[in-house]
Amino acid sequence: MAEGSVAAEVTLFAAASTTDVVEGLADTYARRTGEDVKLSVAASSTLAHQIAQGAPADVFLSADREWMAFLANADGVVAGTCRIVLGNRLVLVAPQASQMELQVADGFPLRAALGDGRLALADPDHVPAGRYARAALQSLGAWRDIRDRLAPMANVRTALFLVDRGEAAAGVVYRTDAAVAPNVRVVGVFPADSHPPIAYAVAIVAGRDTPAARGLYAFLIGDEAQAVFVKAGFAIRSDSC
Amino acid sequence: MLTLTPLEVEALGLSLRVAVWSVGCSLPFGLAVGWLLARRDFPGKILLDGLVHLPLVLPPVAVGYVLLVLLGRNGWLGMWLRDWFGITVAFTWKGAAVAAAVMAFPLMVRAIRLSMEAVDRRLEAAAGTLGAGPVRVFCTVTLPLALPGLLTGAVLAFARSLGEFGATITFVSNIAGETRTLPLALYTLIQRPGGEAGAIRLAVVSIVIALAALVASELIARRVHRGLGRADGRQRHA
Repeated sequence: MAEGSVAAEVTLFAAASTTDVVEGLADTYARRTGEDVKLSVAASSTLAHQIAQGAPADVFLSADREWMAFLANADGVVAGTCRIVLGNRLVLVAPQASQMELQVADGFPLRAALGDGRLALADPDHVPAGRYARAALQSLGAWRDIRDRLAPMANVRTALFLVDRGEAAAGVVYRTDAAVAPNVRVVGVFPADSHPPIAYAVAIVAGRDTPAARGLYAFLIGDEAQAVFVKAGFAIRSDSC
Repeated sequence: MLTLTPLEVEALGLSLRVAVWSVGCSLPFGLAVGWLLARRDFPGKILLDGLVHLPLVLPPVAVGYVLLVLLGRNGWLGMWLRDWFGITVAFTWKGAAVAAAVMAFPLMVRAIRLSMEAVDRRLEAAAGTLGAGPVRVFCTVTLPLALPGLLTGAVLAFARSLGEFGATITFVSNIAGETRTLPLALYTLIQRPGGEAGAIRLAVVSIVIALAALVASELIARRVHRGLGRADGRQRHA
């Protein structure tokens, strides 16, 4: 490593909801280029803070604009590299064995449907999935009722895990999360206009503008990677930040 | 100045409640296991010793996961507790107390065991020859002589309970006012833009409480030594 003029590895910090896809993409990329992709997946809020504190990430994939903006404001990303690349949808999920039937719409009786159970979601205080979920539940008028029935988790995948295990009566996660959990059933999809558009942003981290970082960045926003994201249920977006 | 917001005060109060219950409920068990390990030889003693110390070396997340699987809504122990006693620990402060108790248990047992081992067996034998039964010997000789270890163990367990994070967040989530204890509140603040001032306050509070607990345990131990007024009561420290 010390002798190398060519970086043999590149580090990607990615939102937890992209875990499976970026793992697959990292493998593909490593096979293609011979460069190892080191992955760190967690809540975008956690990753943004870590990067702001100097964590050795080359590329950051955030599940919302806000955390990318937080990092950009701290001069943490290379100017002009931030792109909105993916979209997603929010769904209400329940354990496979659950009888829950609900129409996710304005004024829907979520509280009653939960019974004495809890609603798992990513922490609405900071995690993007939780913030989208809070906005959606607020606009549908359900938030006030269920505020004391929440089980906020460190990221959307740990919330998904609680529903998958049947510990939580229901959960709010991304559609792409629901698709990878075997014991989870989608009860309903949240109307797209009930929350701010879900926007995944990718950028190169400041001070890491190397050919290796550029290579991975180009791969992630390229057609091949986008096709893999689509297959996993993500929507493709292409906007500036 | 260290002025806490209502949310921070809530987290602090919750932490104290969790820690008090954690120590209060585990102390009798800690005493029993400490005594068993110090005084009895039996098959499987090494295994019990290992089991008791497991939370000390296991990743806290693993402990939290095991608790979730056992004591969650669908765990066999959790179902049993709910069906027979109407107790639900999942996602409640009681669950946080259970997680804290499990994580702090090794520290408590270690201190108690060491102090029991240090008690002069001849004093107990003498009490026996004077006609005291085993229970009376335990209550009037063994327990008072082992008191410093007992108190030290309780204080250490209390401090450990206050600081429990990994097992708690895995087992009972991070619910404001219910399971968001001091460390979880600190973690949440760190994740939030502009939350750093609050995080610093909570870190300072954590340091003050932990230091106070450690100093208290040392002072208690010294005072009890003096009270006993004899070298026999002095503790071996591990």
